[in-house]
Amino acid sequence: MSLLRLEKATIRFGGLVAVNEVSFEIAPGELFGLIGPNGAGKTTCFNLITGMYRPTSGRILFKDKDIAGLPVAQIVRLGISRTFQNIRLFGSLTALDNVVVAAHLHRRANLVDALLGDPRSQADTERLRAEAMRYLSALDLQDVASARAADLPYGKQRRLEIARALATQPDLLLLDEPAAGMNPAEKEDLAGVVRRLRSEFGKTILLIEHDMRFVMGLCERIVVLDHGEMISEGPPDHVRNDPKVIEAYLGEAV
Amino acid sequence: MALRVRIASILAGLAGCWLLDALCRGLLRESEQRLVVLAGLYVTLAVSLNLINGIAGQFSIGHAAFYQIGAYTAGYLAFFYYGKLPLQGVPWLVAMLLLGMITAALAGLVVGLPSLRLRGDYLAIVTLGFGEIIRIVVQAIDLTAPTGEQVGGALGMNVEPRIRIIGLVWLFALTCIAVTRNLCKSSHGLALLSIREDEIASAAMGVQVPKMKVAAFMIGSAFAGGAGVLLAHSESFISPSMFPMDLSFIVLTMVVLGGSGSITGAVIAALTLFYVPEYLRGLKAPDGTALTATGASLLGWVAAVVAAVVVVRWLAYRYRGTARQRALGYLLTAVGVLVLGRLLGWGLSFLPALQQAEYEVQKLRMVIFAGSLIVIMLVRPEGVLGRHEFSWDRLARVLRRQRPKEATG
Repeated sequence: MSLLRLEKATIRFGGLVAVNEVSFEIAPGELFGLIGPNGAGKTTCFNLITGMYRPTSGRILFKDKDIAGLPVAQIVRLGISRTFQNIRLFGSLTALDNVVVAAHLHRRANLVDALLGDPRSQADTERLRAEAMRYLSALDLQDVASARAADLPYGKQRRLEIARALATQPDLLLLDEPAAGMNPAEKEDLAGVVRRLRSEFGKTILLIEHDMRFVMGLCERIVVLDHGEMISEGPPDHVRNDPKVIEAYLGEAV
Repeated sequence: MALRVRIASILAGLAGCWLLDALCRGLLRESEQRLVVLAGLYVTLAVSLNLINGIAGQFSIGHAAFYQIGAYTAGYLAFFYYGKLPLQGVPWLVAMLLLGMITAALAGLVVGLPSLRLRGDYLAIVTLGFGEIIRIVVQAIDLTAPTGEQVGGALGMNVEPRIRIIGLVWLFALTCIAVTRNLCKSSHGLALLSIREDEIASAAMGVQVPKMKVAAFMIGSAFAGGAGVLLAHSESFISPSMFPMDLSFIVLTMVVLGGSGSITGAVIAALTLFYVPEYLRGLKAPDGTALTATGASLLGWVAAVVAAVVVVRWLAYRYRGTARQRALGYLLTAVGVLVLGRLLGWGLSFLPALQQAEYEVQKLRMVIFAGSLIVIMLVRPEGVLGRHEFSWDRLARVLRRQRPKEATG
């Protein structure tokens, strides 16, 4: 059984076909890569899966339920969470509060309890805070828990985004260029983190990446997009040697 | 433990309001008591708008409309039903308070819905329009009572009976503060803050953005409506001209000046901005005549304040020294303003044109008021308190840090 299945997912913006009949399947527990040159439609694919865009045609099945066009917050509840390519933290909140917002999905108290300052709501918030702290520690961010998110160094902001996405307790985690702007040592670290997300937290991971070497070393299966079209799919070794992929990345052989 | 603190703070709040009520009745004149009531209402308005504007980040500038809706709910109901129901005095007022809150909350729902599609400036324009519509509609409604009497309309209406209870007004303000603070301390409050920070990321983390936004609008409006009810019964008269667009802007100024998102800031700013014009209105020279100032001294003070703003901005943003040096700098600037203002005033008084021009300070009160807003925004753009809150814990920590010496010594 597949966890996520795209069936000919297509989206057009006016005359531009940003994603054209893309189909792939991700099995539970897989580490799946989505690559392609700039403007290939990778992030648009993420936006389709997470409900930010509604596909023009085609289906997106998550746990065998068609989620195409559902509201974003609804899809998070079903178990898909994401990070953003251009970091979108809640800048003036602390690192811990950023994660608490995501953990808030699993609150027990309701709004009225919160307004009345009911002990139930207070206990609930404490519980979410403790849980958020666990996710911060998992990404080695416990020391900066009370720092403002906007004040954190770049690498830590990237990790905080992952911690935050993790706190919604998703089954499928979408990472949008998690290694962008990192040096080789930091990338190596990050690869370790991503592997742990699967081994320790049991997440299925779909990640977008620019850096071929990073993806090839990490992912088990890869889909390659170019100009919105799927041009190749398979294990890293297959994709690496696919002439279409080489052409898309290096240009036509002269 | 938590429960004990809760009960203690509720009792303290009740006792405080009762004490305030007793003190004001005992010590203040009628006109001064009225000011204490209005101050309480402004605090409620500022704190409730802070929930919508500062915390949820929905730029609303129609707050006076909800205030007016509450006031007119009470006004019309009192006119048609007072005396016909077995409710009188305080129970009547409390019933009105609840009804006024409900009506205003429903209006908040109506305004909250466009906030789901609009952001920032666009939403501001919608709320502004809504505020004007309410004012004009109320102005246009002329109901005729069974007795043939005209009710409402542009000339306003009397609200009988008059019930002015300072303690109740402030209890309501405290309730508004407590509810907002409770919200801020919960994960629901964080969800609202996350909408202010980044709506898209907030939704992506599972926050039900539409629901939370509308909730913020409804809660904030409900408190403004309640304040309107209290106003109507305290003044015993309401008219559309009591709810001009300016009122929305003054309340908005209170929120921004106190520090958007800070409840403490909203309270302090509401009290200050309400009190300063009243204080200037009552300024008298020692011999009892209206206080006047010459053009020379006014110009001197303005120049001194401008200089001080420049120095303070430099100290705050450019100066690289220890916190202690900076604090010393601020102190010196404060003294400097006083000296420089006097000195320039003295110097300029040699110019006959400036020396002969005399102005009544009372008449300049709104100019001084507006000028001080500009100064504060230049010196501290994030508002007086920024996003900080008063907390007993922090106060205790500061005191404890200084205590050990006494304890050991």
